[in-house]
Amino acid sequence: MAAPVLQVRNLRTQFKTDGGLVRAVDDVSFDLYPGESLGIVGESGSGKSITALSILRLVPEPGQIVSGEIKFRNQDLMTASDEEIREIRGRDIAMIFQDPQSSLNPVLKTGFQIGEAMTAHKKATRHEAVQRTIELLKRVRIPAPERRAKDFPHQLSGGMRQRAMIAMGLANSPSIIIADEPTTALDVTVQAQILELLGDLNRELGTAIIMITHNMGVVAGLCQRLIVMYAGQIVEQGPVDEIFASPQHPYTWSLLKSMPRVDAVRHDRLRSIEGIAPDLLRPPAGCRFHPRCPFRVEKCLTDQPPLMQVKPDQMSACWVTMDRAREEMGAEGLTDISPGAASGLQPGKIIP
Amino acid sequence: MLIGFTVLAVSSIVFLLIHRLPGDALFSEKLRGHAYAELLHHYGLDQPLYTQYWNFVVGVVTRGDLGESLVNRGLKITPLVIRETAISAQVGGVALIFTVGLGIVLGVFAAIRQNTWIDYLLTTTSVIGYSMPNFVIAALLILVFGVWLQNVTQGTFFYQLGGWKGDIGQLWLPAFALGFPYASIVARLTRASMLEVIRQDYVRTARAKGLQESVILVRHALRNALIPVITILGPLVIGIITGSVVIENFFGIPGLGKEFAQSILNRDYAIVIGVFTMYAAMVGVANLLVDLAYVFIDPRIRYG
Amino acid sequence: MATAAAVVVAQELEPEQASLWSDAWRRLKRNRLALVASVYLALLVVVALVALVWTPYRMSAIGLAPTYSGPSAAHLLGVDELGRDILSRLMVGAQISLVVGVGTQLLVLAVGVPLGLIAGYYKGYLDTVLSFLINVFYGIPDVLLAMILVFILGPSLTNIIVAIVATRWMDMARLMRGQALSLREREFVEAGRAAGAKPLKMLFGHILPNALGPIIVQATFGIPSAILFEAFLSFLGVGVQPPTPSWGSMANEGVQAIQYAPHMVLAPSVALSLTLMAFNFLGDGLRDALDPRSRR
Repeated sequence: MAAPVLQVRNLRTQFKTDGGLVRAVDDVSFDLYPGESLGIVGESGSGKSITALSILRLVPEPGQIVSGEIKFRNQDLMTASDEEIREIRGRDIAMIFQDPQSSLNPVLKTGFQIGEAMTAHKKATRHEAVQRTIELLKRVRIPAPERRAKDFPHQLSGGMRQRAMIAMGLANSPSIIIADEPTTALDVTVQAQILELLGDLNRELGTAIIMITHNMGVVAGLCQRLIVMYAGQIVEQGPVDEIFASPQHPYTWSLLKSMPRVDAVRHDRLRSIEGIAPDLLRPPAGCRFHPRCPFRVEKCLTDQPPLMQVKPDQMSACWVTMDRAREEMGAEGLTDISPGAASGLQPGKIIP
Repeated sequence: MLIGFTVLAVSSIVFLLIHRLPGDALFSEKLRGHAYAELLHHYGLDQPLYTQYWNFVVGVVTRGDLGESLVNRGLKITPLVIRETAISAQVGGVALIFTVGLGIVLGVFAAIRQNTWIDYLLTTTSVIGYSMPNFVIAALLILVFGVWLQNVTQGTFFYQLGGWKGDIGQLWLPAFALGFPYASIVARLTRASMLEVIRQDYVRTARAKGLQESVILVRHALRNALIPVITILGPLVIGIITGSVVIENFFGIPGLGKEFAQSILNRDYAIVIGVFTMYAAMVGVANLLVDLAYVFIDPRIRYG
Repeated sequence: MATAAAVVVAQELEPEQASLWSDAWRRLKRNRLALVASVYLALLVVVALVALVWTPYRMSAIGLAPTYSGPSAAHLLGVDELGRDILSRLMVGAQISLVVGVGTQLLVLAVGVPLGLIAGYYKGYLDTVLSFLINVFYGIPDVLLAMILVFILGPSLTNIIVAIVATRWMDMARLMRGQALSLREREFVEAGRAAGAKPLKMLFGHILPNALGPIIVQATFGIPSAILFEAFLSFLGVGVQPPTPSWGSMANEGVQAIQYAPHMVLAPSVALSLTLMAFNFLGDGLRDALDPRSRR
């Protein structure tokens, strides 16, 4: 296997707030291989967006990357100078954001903003940029690209805006595109189109994609590997197919169980994970998921499980693991996934 | 829209004139009897009000004729007003450039250095700036530069009566005093606006694209931040115009403002009306230009 | 201050409003600058009231000391070109400034609020007329109009107040109109209408109280604006007439003698600047306190 194009090691990003220290990203490590599409899944507040922003050192105040190493090819992005990072942004690693309406400058023409990405890195002259912009717009399947390039963002529809953003990301043929919830602000049919586009680009151009989302369905369609985050930490990672077939972490398992399925038996209740997202100012002791976990045991309340290899290429941070939960606690037949339901440890009680 | 504004400018003038014509026929009491009646006739003041008004409007619109001075008989008002407007415009123009230029620069600076000592200094100074009447600022400047540092400046900053010598050195003091309060307001507004804009998503996108910080600041942030500033440009110009009345009197600059104050005291109502008309026209034009600038800067209005 | 008003209108307001006032009060108290400003203004009011019955010297008494002499033990701020005690005149001037400042705003409220309220709530023909009037008045440079008005009507304090109000009422009217326009779309207005509330009760009992915040802020900023305006007028000679001292006219007299008697221009200038600053800081504080979106 080729060397990873991105290596994140022990990343910690924190926010100093009036209420205390928020550990938004708490010791996260993963690799990204050339041309692969990696999904990062988690709820709001799980730290997935901040992880992405940390890669490009775009974390907003009062956040700070406290420690860790992020190697792009062989360069450590954490110790790179401001100028070096600036060059990498938009040229080697590009990022597209969630809400294209607010992410595009309203007073500048769309085509200009795309061309800017090129001229800023001296990849093209103004004139060349105009040509290439039109090609890019065609590539992202925007009709009448010459005219759309001269339009302002508010004149385009939501789907077109997001495509324009993707075009902006592709402008310099980067090695990696980080997409932060690119479809969340769009309606469902447009979502599907954008995802299809991203998938095609990944295959045709060989650009690695990091896809950040809270939607497992998006991951299923697009990604090859998957990272699941909870409360600032990685709780599971591995190939998408294997995780979907056999999730090892109770959180992943619960997420998949709570997805409404077309082929579900009709009288099945729609299940949701009980409890609320953890307070990052005072995270739970031990395993951060234990207040909401149906399979928790004594050890989960006191010791935080590290990421352990549970299968050849699957890692999970859990003392119990789903294999054991399936064998000993009858996980698959569970109708009640409230905390402690299966293990019997303080069932129903959400321990803060 | 253009028509609307011209109409507004004219109607402003219209309303003003109607207000003032009635009570104004009091003349200097020196003249009595026959000479008085003759004068009245000469100026057409013995005619009914609406006729006078109509003649005036026609005169202005068709010939640009604002009439004759009541005190200095034979002195045509229009050339006088035009000459003085040129002078006032110079002082006002410098003040305006200073106001807007300095205000924006300082405002941006305070925004990017938020919560540092520079920011606090600028913010406090700006409150002081718009809290002081411009003649106070002028007086202080004269105190400092004219009295205490007299050796250094040798009184060069005073406007030399007897003619405009085209020397910037003469202008800067009045222009500074005139503009400083407004520069403070602009600085404050720019700062607040920049602070908001810098937090916007599109600035984050610009940074993620790898643009230079200076480019982000000017091309992305500032252009958006200036939109609310343009909005106050209209009232600002009006403020400079009214402030110039005080400043011109203070420094003895023979501009429109001085003329206005003087004619009121002299009871030369014809000139008062003439000057006022000129002012109203200037304000109308200023508002029009601001509206155009606004449309130009914010494409959402153009292609909404 | 705001709490008294809050008690009166509390009955008529939605529950959330009662806590808006106490919230605002709390926030205001934390604003150091606003507090200092309030203290200063309170002192100023005291001085002005005291001046009604007593000043160190009679404000019009001339020849108390060699003309133009500077500050001394007998005359803390020196004397002016007629030998009058500057401190005494300054104290009386405080009255003028305060009366003008507050008086104009009260009138502006009396004129602008009802007009804006009606125009904004009923829209249609009334609104068009009012908006047109507002635009016309905005096109007239205020100092000029005021000068003319004062000159026609005569330079008395009342007339000055009237002149200032005539040139500044639009800000309040426009604000009130805007508030009324947006408030009338809110649900509680619909509810009131559905319940058959009479129009007067709608206007004054429902819409007005909810617009009080911005109105108070506007009025607070209007005071220094009016004081400044009066100072301008007096400086130009169309303000209050001698021997009544206005800070503006005192500054005017002071400028003539700036070379050898700087105290003459400094005293009223500092008084003016401090007072205006205080009102501005207070206004800032009020605005931040009443704005539900403010940072803290």
